[in-house]
Amino acid sequence: MEGSEQVASFAFRGVTFMYPEADRPALSGVNLSVKEGEFAVLSGPSGSGKSTLLRLLKREVSPGGRLNGTILLDDRPIEAWPAREAAARVGLVMQHPDQQLVVDTVEHELAFGMENLGFSRDAMRRRMAEMAGFFGLEPLLSRRTDELSGGQKQTVNLAAVLMLQPRLLLLDEPLAQLDPLSARELLGMIRRLNDEWGITVLMSEHRVDDLLPAADRVVRLEEGAVAFDGSPREFAREAWERRESAWLRALPAVTRWALERGLDDSALEPAAGFPVPLSVKEGRQWVRRIAEMKGVSAAPNGGDCSVVPTTDRRAENADPLTPAADMRAADSRKPLLEAEELFFAYDARSPAVLRGLDWTVRSGDRIALFGGNGSGKSTLLRLLAGLHRPQRGRIRLNGEPFSRIASRSLHARIGYLAQNPQLHFAFDTLREDLTHAAARIGALDPVGEALRMASRFGLTHALDRHPHDLSGGERQLGALAVVLLGKPELLLLDEPTKGIDAERKMRLAVHLEDIHREGATIVMATHDVEFAAAFANRCSLLFQGEIVADDMPGSFFRGNLFYATPLHRLLGGDCSRSADRAERGEALR
Amino acid sequence: MSEGFGARALHPVVLLVYYAGGITFGMLLFHPVILLAGWAAALAVNFHLDRGRSWRSWSLPMAGGVLLLLVLNPLISHRGRTVWFYLGDTPITLESVAYGATMALSLSFLLTLFISYRLLMTEHKFLFLFARVSPKFALLVMMAAGLIPRLRRRMYELMRIQRMRGVTVSEGTVLERARSGARLVASLLAWTLEDALQTADSMQARGYGTGPRSAYLHFRFRIRDVVTICGLLAASGAIFALWAGGGGVLEIYPRLGSLALSGADRAAMLIYAAFLLMPLIWEWRDRSKWQALRSAA
Repeated sequence: MEGSEQVASFAFRGVTFMYPEADRPALSGVNLSVKEGEFAVLSGPSGSGKSTLLRLLKREVSPGGRLNGTILLDDRPIEAWPAREAAARVGLVMQHPDQQLVVDTVEHELAFGMENLGFSRDAMRRRMAEMAGFFGLEPLLSRRTDELSGGQKQTVNLAAVLMLQPRLLLLDEPLAQLDPLSARELLGMIRRLNDEWGITVLMSEHRVDDLLPAADRVVRLEEGAVAFDGSPREFAREAWERRESAWLRALPAVTRWALERGLDDSALEPAAGFPVPLSVKEGRQWVRRIAEMKGVSAAPNGGDCSVVPTTDRRAENADPLTPAADMRAADSRKPLLEAEELFFAYDARSPAVLRGLDWTVRSGDRIALFGGNGSGKSTLLRLLAGLHRPQRGRIRLNGEPFSRIASRSLHARIGYLAQNPQLHFAFDTLREDLTHAAARIGALDPVGEALRMASRFGLTHALDRHPHDLSGGERQLGALAVVLLGKPELLLLDEPTKGIDAERKMRLAVHLEDIHREGATIVMATHDVEFAAAFANRCSLLFQGEIVADDMPGSFFRGNLFYATPLHRLLGGDCSRSADRAERGEALR
Repeated sequence: MSEGFGARALHPVVLLVYYAGGITFGMLLFHPVILLAGWAAALAVNFHLDRGRSWRSWSLPMAGGVLLLLVLNPLISHRGRTVWFYLGDTPITLESVAYGATMALSLSFLLTLFISYRLLMTEHKFLFLFARVSPKFALLVMMAAGLIPRLRRRMYELMRIQRMRGVTVSEGTVLERARSGARLVASLLAWTLEDALQTADSMQARGYGTGPRSAYLHFRFRIRDVVTICGLLAASGAIFALWAGGGGVLEIYPRLGSLALSGADRAAMLIYAAFLLMPLIWEWRDRSKWQALRSAA
């Protein structure tokens, strides 16, 4: 593989980059070279320099600062490329689907890059025909871009970048804002581009379960330096040998699970001839081989629970919360919020989003609300938060109808976190925002309260920054802190894990556990099955305007293929309890 | 009806000539009878395009404007020889009443024409014309047009969420409300500006500003466009010649002339009506084709 005959698509030679007024470099001594046609994944915690590295490769959007070392694009220094060729050669897709769209219709958006480069009209039409076909965008061409779903928007962004036929495609967390289904579709598209057209791909992403099996190469950055550079399997082994949780979190759940089994049984050490599984398929093969080796006949579905360590089984027996007991406990708890016969449509002409929905939230619940895109999860949460009034039906809080509760006290008792955390800030610094929120409910010492909340979420360093200058994860936690300072009894969260890295996500789960222990009831609309499995004690599924499933996580996930974690898919029906334990244990560690 | 059918399929340049001519002659030919004929023709075009739906939605404000001109002109202007009657001390002259009526007719005619303009000259056709003059400015116009609805949506969203934490314009003292309002606007602007930075990155990443731009929007100049534009130009030439010779204009001041049409007036009226009905030829032609196809099937 290490042939010099293969051209390097791009190379960093001893690159150190320093932002103006920064006290340490964002990248230091980076040496990295990726060959033509490789699919490389850029891993690393938030703030490790991933975006900086990607943007240095895209000259038009390179950050200002001091750069030492050379960056080569096709063996030529990047600054030596003529403007137009450089723009066409390297394509960049960023995280937020909306902000990348420039013009009004899909067709025009796709043409935008070609217009900029002064293509002739015939050339534009030809490429348009080709690309629209490849991406299946033909039915959308005349649609306005602001009517599209998030996944469609991101597909349009990808196609718009590919219109210039780049040889190198840079992707800066392109899946972070998408639901899992759209994310998988977009990833499939990126893989096809890499497979069929041989485009070099460099992609940074937090969600790795589907990504790592597709990659040729993993590059991990830590504090601006390359901490690892090699194949995904080597990466798994390296992560295992380091035993650092940040590294392990960067692995797919299946891989992590398999490696942990290896820890308990020295015969299963990765080094002992077992290739570490990266996908569910490989995971099943792995389970089967181990079963053969141990002389246990594997179940036909590959789901032999005996490979699941005994510690989990013991925990299972000792656990008082068997499903039946838990459901009984749930029924005896008093209902906090009751929705009866909810009907809701945004306007008279559009179809109803909720159609006769009945649902009860009991105090002490931690509910994960699932549902496809546009199934009305957000709408339901907004109704429950009192932001919209249903056309029919009513909602009661502690037995009292919403209509009889003053809106001020309703908003004090129910906290709502919108999908876009930005909406929750109104002041010039995070400190002011938090202090105002604490003062609102009449705290004796709002300043101290704000400070305590900030330190609890690890936001002390960001207190004097403008809320818009916070990073994505900080913004999410900051907005949550603002909502929590209102001390609500019921917390409604809309996609709280969107765009957050694995490490932060687990910290968020711990915070939510704490809040729950303090007595708050939590309802969370989410696409993040793994997070829900680790956190919820009830899972509900919204479909066609009604709640169609409402159950304990274990029985909810059992038998699901789509709304299931990779571990559930790996272990199949019989062992899913074990999968629950494994996931819970992991989250709470 | 979709683009590509009847009058909507005409090339933007043809439509530009049509409306430029229609409006110019609508102002030059100051004769109530001719304007009435023009108004009828423009109305016919409107009714063919969308059965008069958008015209009806505009008809109320239009009627208001017409009424205002009818009443105001005689009250303000006292030119003219023939005094009809006195309203208190104000002389109301026949000429100023006639002038007001003609003005009102001209206004409602031009507005009717403009309503069909909005149906025929879509945003894309307009941009196509504009982009030839200045591609950058056309892009700017389009982005600005998209920004306003987006800002509105965001403002509503922001107000709803911020109300929950008490930053609202419907609670507290006047000073508090004003402060909250300012805060909402400030965060809306900060948010929008931040988004704009990302949009700018996305534009530059796709080579914006690397050299002269070309335009993707394209409309083919077809044979029917050639035919129509020749017809329109010929009609314009004829009307202009007649107007230059004194035809098509009613003498109002100082003394109201006869409403009877002279030969030149009549010619100008007919040609102008034909000019205005030109797009309908394609509408009729395409529609009869459909009818024929349907009855054959």
